[in-house]
Amino acid sequence: MTTTTRGRSDITRLLLTQRIPLLAVLIVVVVVTFFINDAGGYLTASYDFDYMSGSLISAVPLAMLGLAELIVILSGRGGIDLSVGAIVSLSGMIFGFAYGQWGWPLWFAIIATVLFGGLCGAVNGVLVSYIGFPALIATLATFYAFKSIAIVINNQQPISTPPIQELYSLSKSVELPVIGASVPDVPLGIFTFLLPTVVAVWLLLARTAYGRRLYAIGTNDVAARWSGLPVRDTRFKAYVYAGLISGLVAVVTVAQFASARPDAGVSGSGMALPAITIAVLGGVAITGGIGRVAGVVLATLLIVWLNAGILLAFVGNEGSQYQLLALGTVLVFAALLNGLTTRRYGGTV
Amino acid sequence: MTETIDTPRLRLTAVSKRFGAVRAIQHADMTVRAGTVHALVGENGAGKSTMIKIVAGAVTADTGEIEFDGAPARIASTTDAIGLGIATVYQEPQLFPELTVAENIFLGREMKKNGRIDWAGQNARVVELLALLGLPGRYATATVGDLSVAEQQQVSIAKALSGDAKVLILDEPSAILTDAEIEVLFDVVRRLTASGVSVIYISHRLDELFRIADEVTVMRDGRTIGTYPIGDLSVRQIAHLMVGGELSDERPHRQVPDGPAVLELRGLGRESRFHDVDVTVKAGEIVALYGLVGSGVSEIAACIYGIDRATSGEIHLNQQRVTPRNPGHAQRLGIALLPANRKVEGMFGFQSIAFNISAGHLKLLSRFGVLVDRAREKTVATDMIKRLAVKTPHERQPISAMSGGNAQKVVLARQLVERPTVLVLAEPTQGVDVGAKEEIHRLITELAQEGTAVLVVTSDLPEALRIADRIQVVRRGTTTDEFGPDASQVDLLAAAAGGTE
Amino acid sequence: MTTESLNKNDKTEKNEKSPKRVRVLPAPVTGQEVVLVGVIALLWAGLALSTPAFLTAGSIQPLLVATAPIALIGVGMTIVIITGGIDVSVGGAIMVCSVLTAKTLVGSGVNLGVAVLLSVLTGGVLGLVNGVLIAYGRVHAIIITFGTANLFMFLGLQIFGSGTVNGIPGTLAFFGRGPDGRTLGVPHAFLITVLVTAAAWWYLRHTAGGRHFFAIGGDAQAARLAGVRVQRRVLLAYTTTGLLVGLASCFVIAQGTSTLDQTVGSGKELAVIAAVVIGGTSIMGGRGSVLGTLLGALLVQSVASGVTQLGWRSQLSDLFVGIFIIVAVGADLLRARARRSR
Repeated sequence: MTTTTRGRSDITRLLLTQRIPLLAVLIVVVVVTFFINDAGGYLTASYDFDYMSGSLISAVPLAMLGLAELIVILSGRGGIDLSVGAIVSLSGMIFGFAYGQWGWPLWFAIIATVLFGGLCGAVNGVLVSYIGFPALIATLATFYAFKSIAIVINNQQPISTPPIQELYSLSKSVELPVIGASVPDVPLGIFTFLLPTVVAVWLLLARTAYGRRLYAIGTNDVAARWSGLPVRDTRFKAYVYAGLISGLVAVVTVAQFASARPDAGVSGSGMALPAITIAVLGGVAITGGIGRVAGVVLATLLIVWLNAGILLAFVGNEGSQYQLLALGTVLVFAALLNGLTTRRYGGTV
Repeated sequence: MTETIDTPRLRLTAVSKRFGAVRAIQHADMTVRAGTVHALVGENGAGKSTMIKIVAGAVTADTGEIEFDGAPARIASTTDAIGLGIATVYQEPQLFPELTVAENIFLGREMKKNGRIDWAGQNARVVELLALLGLPGRYATATVGDLSVAEQQQVSIAKALSGDAKVLILDEPSAILTDAEIEVLFDVVRRLTASGVSVIYISHRLDELFRIADEVTVMRDGRTIGTYPIGDLSVRQIAHLMVGGELSDERPHRQVPDGPAVLELRGLGRESRFHDVDVTVKAGEIVALYGLVGSGVSEIAACIYGIDRATSGEIHLNQQRVTPRNPGHAQRLGIALLPANRKVEGMFGFQSIAFNISAGHLKLLSRFGVLVDRAREKTVATDMIKRLAVKTPHERQPISAMSGGNAQKVVLARQLVERPTVLVLAEPTQGVDVGAKEEIHRLITELAQEGTAVLVVTSDLPEALRIADRIQVVRRGTTTDEFGPDASQVDLLAAAAGGTE
Repeated sequence: MTTESLNKNDKTEKNEKSPKRVRVLPAPVTGQEVVLVGVIALLWAGLALSTPAFLTAGSIQPLLVATAPIALIGVGMTIVIITGGIDVSVGGAIMVCSVLTAKTLVGSGVNLGVAVLLSVLTGGVLGLVNGVLIAYGRVHAIIITFGTANLFMFLGLQIFGSGTVNGIPGTLAFFGRGPDGRTLGVPHAFLITVLVTAAAWWYLRHTAGGRHFFAIGGDAQAARLAGVRVQRRVLLAYTTTGLLVGLASCFVIAQGTSTLDQTVGSGKELAVIAAVVIGGTSIMGGRGSVLGTLLGALLVQSVASGVTQLGWRSQLSDLFVGIFIIVAVGADLLRARARRSR
């Protein structure tokens, strides 16, 4: 697979059909553009490696939920999970109770929260895989239900007792050991939550038998059945995994806000829509069976660094608005690109 | 029953069609008279479907002439065909299940009155069409999704007739119908011919031709052998014309080791699909289950593999009664199955060859049943590629990029990974080129040589004769006659198609 | 042709009881709709018994006003979903239409007609954008509308500028909660919604164009072969949704106080989809009813109103929405299963 003999059209084709090189190129373009703007003094603050590193804190929940959507969308049959944000809210409240009020040990509270998220995901899984609800409908329903319970469960009040407030330290930046002096400080959440999740999901999808089954049912669930694979069980578990990850994101979110907020995952346009956007941008095919962890991670980096740059390019809340523009444009562009490559090259990877 | 009219309704003269290097039909002739049922028969691949596609305008002939009602006609598109009054009912009805029968019939060319659909007018016309088919008028407002398969087929016929059809092509209409439903279909066909419509009737069931057809055109290897009044022939004679001269059996006689049955079906049945099926397969033996499309053969295979549950009878494996609950369970019992519909039931399209082979054997190919042992997976895949002579640069090639024959070998490879005791092969060489077909047949023989009990479920007659040690004929949902490898094609075809002498 | 079929009709008359009396269409009201009417009636009866204030004009009128925008957009969403699509950008589109209209009202004091026209046309353009991308870009509707949702929100926030729009004049009071918004006690917003729903119901049921939406949702490829102009129909479905979003945005402005804040429209796409789904429209396309959507929206709003009147937490009503979706679609799944096993 050397590119030395490839012509220009081959490179175009590679960039159009292979999402990962395309994303890598786009990231370089974005970063270089902002570096140049920075050098020219057009930005309100310095866009450098320290800034890029610090901005990664917002990548933590985004990438994790993007991976949750990756797993669910891979499972095929219109797989999607609109309820991840609501699961984050509800699990966050559970964490708030467990750690902030009942005084459970931190590790135990985290495990309980993650398992609770998995339980919420299991509700989705039963509805979609065993009863046969379209995923969009089932998760729309549970979105409403979980969201409602999260708000009602503590009378609309956030939980921000001292133990919860102290969790904020989890989201601060730290200096890396050994090489720390020469590279920027990195948000702690990257190491405590994001990297373990990325590695775990990558192992799950790329190395385990379960991952194989998931790709198999997403690619062709009739053939999967004729191959003797447990189709329903596999699809059910996809929603459980998405729930487990959402539970973990709940802990991250509580730490970031230093408070368990009942609307943490559903305020504004919620957490589900950006997560789905990231997954699609990362090359996950909405029809199932196609998508990789690397794509989701790169898509997150692209959006996070693009957003971070936009914040510096505009004054006041203009920046956050242009982030919407960027996200929307990139998504429409990615979707149209998927359609185009499917027609021209007969399939994308 | 029919008046003889001098000018035929439809005449095809010296029609030829090639697809790339393949000559689908050569110098074919067919003359269809008005108000008659004209049967078109031939083995799979004889050129019947190309013939009807040319008449229906779905395919344009390379050379040859078509006359319609005595005048030269040009059929370059389906619109041309419909304009002439040629309507086609394909096997799979293309209907909208959520719309009513009347709406389905008029979709895209609704009758309108003051901007709205003229329901009463449409309905009256549909009731009229339904009456022509002998169906009650209340069907007009029924939702298509609520109708049975047979009723949906009748709706398709009504839809085809709605444009004042003069020629109606029925492509294997009886394959999906029960006996009672076939009677209704015949009634419909007789009414139509009585009103002057010509029907081109394609069927594998030769016995039913004697009840419905006036004339029969026989095709073989892309040529029309001739057109005969049905009364001049018997089932055996038609079968003879279809298969031509007896093929010399090149296959060396295999010696099947004697022993107890490995797989035994005792009176197996599934409600309204098949019944009283008795088959035994010994270790090292290849038994063919030969039946026409719709005879129930494919459903029998699905039951053995746990896709469907049998409702009566027993399956015995090594003298022990088993009830496969699902394909996974069947695999654990030692039964493997190569599905008939490769694209839908067999292939994981854009995934690699290795992925396609290891799917279904993930427990075996994993450390502690969790982590996929990729080195072993690769070894298994490359071994299989070598053993089955799959033509590919490497095992990471996506299966969707491969030819039919190679893709079939990959799907077959998946069945062989765990060395099943019973291997069921459903239509193992459908849509596969000649070279790959030979290789697959050789492979099946090798597997039997190694002691696997092989059951080949096929509607391909030469295939059954080529590879099987015994051939069990399935007709109308049950096992009827058994033949040895020396049987003639004519005997087999006659037995399967219902020639009783 | 007509005389011929009449003659033939006479012949068949002997077999059929009386062809003229034969119903030429399936029932105008589906089972799901009957059930919904029953559920709403039971709910209202229950609420009337437990809180006497419920069955008063002061309680029912706001309920109907609040139902109107969701149900109105639901008409368009129903058509979109019948074609097998979905539009998750309506929340963003509401924001664009309402802020643009509100700013114009504040800035230049246009009259009611101009304001409505402006809002409706704006919505139409946004819908057209979705329609073109989906019909001609051949991309999954959910992905494209996720994208345009972000773009619309950007546009809306840009128009907002800083903070809220204040001091909106009462030009749109005709659609509002106040006495100007009612005729004979019926809120205009609800009345208009009912009229639009009725028109859409008739169109979907009685015209070729309307029936073609169902065919497209059933099998777009087969519909194309049958001569249905699929792309144009799809374009129309999204554009109609946009136009209705424009009109509904006027209702939204009128319902509020004289200010409009940046959360306007947020989450409304899911509320609309919920109403459509509870109303019995299949998310897989090919089947659905605008009447059901109106009832679905009414049910959701009745629950919300009931929950508040019973003194429960208002957010509890979302839990009921979730349960209704599960029950409504679950019943449908069971029906489909029963049909298949026949």
